[in-house]
Amino acid sequence: MNAHAKQRMQIPAIYISLSMLILFLVIFFIGNPSFFKRYNLLTIGTSASILLAVGMGQVFTILTGGIDLSVGGIMSLVSVIFMALLNDYGLMAFPISLAVGVLAGFINGYLNSQLKIPSFITTLGTGGIFVSVAYMISEKPLSAPTSAFKMLDIVNGMSFGFKHIMFIAAGIFIIFYIIQRYTVTGRNILLMGSNEKMCWLSGVNVFWIRIIAFTLSGLGSGFAGILLASTLYSGYPTIGNVYILNSIATVVVGGTALTGGAGGVVNTLIGALIMSVLNNGMNVIGIDVYAQQSILGAMIIIAVAVSFDKKKVTVIK
Amino acid sequence: MDTVIELKKATKSFPGVRALKGFDLNIYKNEILGLVGENGAGKSTLMKVLIGMYQLDEGEYLLRGQPAKMKSSNDAIKEGVGMVFQEGCMLLNMTITENLFLSNEQAFIKNGILNLSEMRNEAKTALAKVELNIDPQTPCSRLSPAQRQMVEIARLLWLSEHYGKDNPVMILDEPTTVLQQKEADTLFRILDDIKKHATIILISHRLEEVIENSDRIVVLKDGDYVTEMPADQASVEGIEELMVGRNLSGEHFRESEQREPETENFLEVRNLTIEGVFEPMSFSVKKGEILSLVGLIGSGKEELCQCLAGVRRPTGGEILINGKNVLIKSPKDSIRSRIGYIPIDRRKEGLATDFDVADNINMLILNSLKSKGFLSRFKEAANAKKWVKEALIKTPSIRTKCRNLSGGNQQKVVISKWLAAESQLLVLDHPTRGIDVGAKDEIYHRIRLLAQEGRCLIMMCDTLEEDIGLCNRMLIMKDGKLVKILNCPAAEKPEPLEILSAIV
Repeated sequence: MNAHAKQRMQIPAIYISLSMLILFLVIFFIGNPSFFKRYNLLTIGTSASILLAVGMGQVFTILTGGIDLSVGGIMSLVSVIFMALLNDYGLMAFPISLAVGVLAGFINGYLNSQLKIPSFITTLGTGGIFVSVAYMISEKPLSAPTSAFKMLDIVNGMSFGFKHIMFIAAGIFIIFYIIQRYTVTGRNILLMGSNEKMCWLSGVNVFWIRIIAFTLSGLGSGFAGILLASTLYSGYPTIGNVYILNSIATVVVGGTALTGGAGGVVNTLIGALIMSVLNNGMNVIGIDVYAQQSILGAMIIIAVAVSFDKKKVTVIK
Repeated sequence: MDTVIELKKATKSFPGVRALKGFDLNIYKNEILGLVGENGAGKSTLMKVLIGMYQLDEGEYLLRGQPAKMKSSNDAIKEGVGMVFQEGCMLLNMTITENLFLSNEQAFIKNGILNLSEMRNEAKTALAKVELNIDPQTPCSRLSPAQRQMVEIARLLWLSEHYGKDNPVMILDEPTTVLQQKEADTLFRILDDIKKHATIILISHRLEEVIENSDRIVVLKDGDYVTEMPADQASVEGIEELMVGRNLSGEHFRESEQREPETENFLEVRNLTIEGVFEPMSFSVKKGEILSLVGLIGSGKEELCQCLAGVRRPTGGEILINGKNVLIKSPKDSIRSRIGYIPIDRRKEGLATDFDVADNINMLILNSLKSKGFLSRFKEAANAKKWVKEALIKTPSIRTKCRNLSGGNQQKVVISKWLAAESQLLVLDHPTRGIDVGAKDEIYHRIRLLAQEGRCLIMMCDTLEEDIGLCNRMLIMKDGKLVKILNCPAAEKPEPLEILSAIV
């Protein structure tokens, strides 16, 4: 076949994701007009904020062509440590917990680069380890000490009609956007996902770039763990479980290719909105809670099937 | 003689190249047909057409008098046409028996289960036909290259028998490159025997071997049939002349733009070696010099280039840049020494094809395109525009994805990327591979300009003519040894024939 004839019109994945978001909004509005009530929108915003934080990290690992299955474990560990430190360390609990997330991500990245084995295996393993450490710190849920209520109330408070957590999420988004768009490292992460061999031949330190990508994922999960614990006023070792699947769904539904190299943080912002609108809307229009899981699962498969670059992978593993 | 394969006006094109230009070819029963031609003459395309991997654009392919309808090499095997590939393709962790009958195991199913002992017996018989006296339960990883080849031949024979095709056609692609002389002799003795009930197509660079062992020789050049002759009337010199052709009159490689290099050395290589791949060799490249590396696959020239590009590490010797010893352990080191590597496979190793022209051109110098510590979109665009203009890259915009550019323009992007990084020495691995004629000339022009600016170029080209036409000097390598250094001044380019004899 003539290679020129094969060039089809390419619609950027981001427009597909945007249309999907709008479609869902319309469906849920028709299904139940109170979907657009202020209170409900704030609920969606809160869950989108946490999804955004963990998705911001996850997207960098997926952009390199890897995946981070330990985000749930990191979130759980961070939430437990955060709660454990709040009483004695007060405000300092925030940076320390965040550092734990970053360190966890660094360990993931280092293992991947050093051992050269698929990241889904290393992070599957480390994810289990992080959860186990969280259990060793506290097997029971840790609740926020009353002394810290004031601080956590600020996270959950409101200004200008928006929840504070949404402002925090916006800040996190800006940080990751700058990393992706305006730093050499961010550019190299994307290039490496597109063509690792070429990057190596062009002198890119692929060893470190991969470590940085996973460290960023740890940072995102750290943020997400703190935010989640703050909204719930507690932390426990299973708190992050659902975010393993949800973070990956957020990234791929936003249109970032699992094969790496295409997509990014803006896509993931839309993905986070789609996921939280969908989660919330299915409840609002009264879809059976067990059926919801099937719809989410199907969504992920469709999103990946659309964005997956089949040319890059000759053998489907 | 009966024909088994008949090609009529066989035409096959790829974007930018006409690989087969519409010729007729008959292949007869019970013959060994030697097929010769330079790299790029169309041999591989022709073979892939015969085994159904490619379909002809125009023309007819008749197999045993019927139009051939196979769509894959698997179909071809069932029609009694098979190929033993240069690299060999068997599952090394499995036994000979398993490899012989791979994907045809249903022939041995009795009552729903595989009859293993029957398989083994059948394997023994099949191996006996190629005089391979070896336990069929041996894992293929323990076989010598010669034995592996025999197993593949035995497999093709068995398959054609299994599918009831008389006179199978077997294509052997460079069968002797991995063999010792004695093994090669055995191979040809067996082939001579097999030919009593089969047709063999022999592709080889070793012309003596082709003349000695085939019945008829067909010469291809530039995708076209040149001539054929009975092997007993052929001579090595005669075939070489036909292969190379005599169209070197006139200017093809911008010879008039060739300049004498400066006197200063940029690169000096002393006793560089990779043990077991190429022997210690020394040479130097002057500023403004174009140096061609010439030799067959396996001569060590590819690996030599990889040492310069930092892809492979030499086991001994020194590399000096501007008289200073440099240690090149990785591509990063070679970039630091101002060496750029333009790989043979642009799409896989030279470009991020999902990314746009600007991203690819800028990727080596991102650190210099910052303003206040952050990448500046403005500076990126300015640099990309400069190079698009400078290198005559034809692209709708600097934000066009590289996958949407033609091969020639992709190559210009890769070259620009290295020039933007101020590379002083470019290693060009087949720079015009798969590029159409017009774009080729622009690349030649660019190569000349780079040399005139005082940069060094080390090249491995697609054809010998290209090497001769472009270079100031030529290093000829054979079996891991530097055998000859040849000057190629613009006024008196050497004849391809004298070089060919040093290569082969």
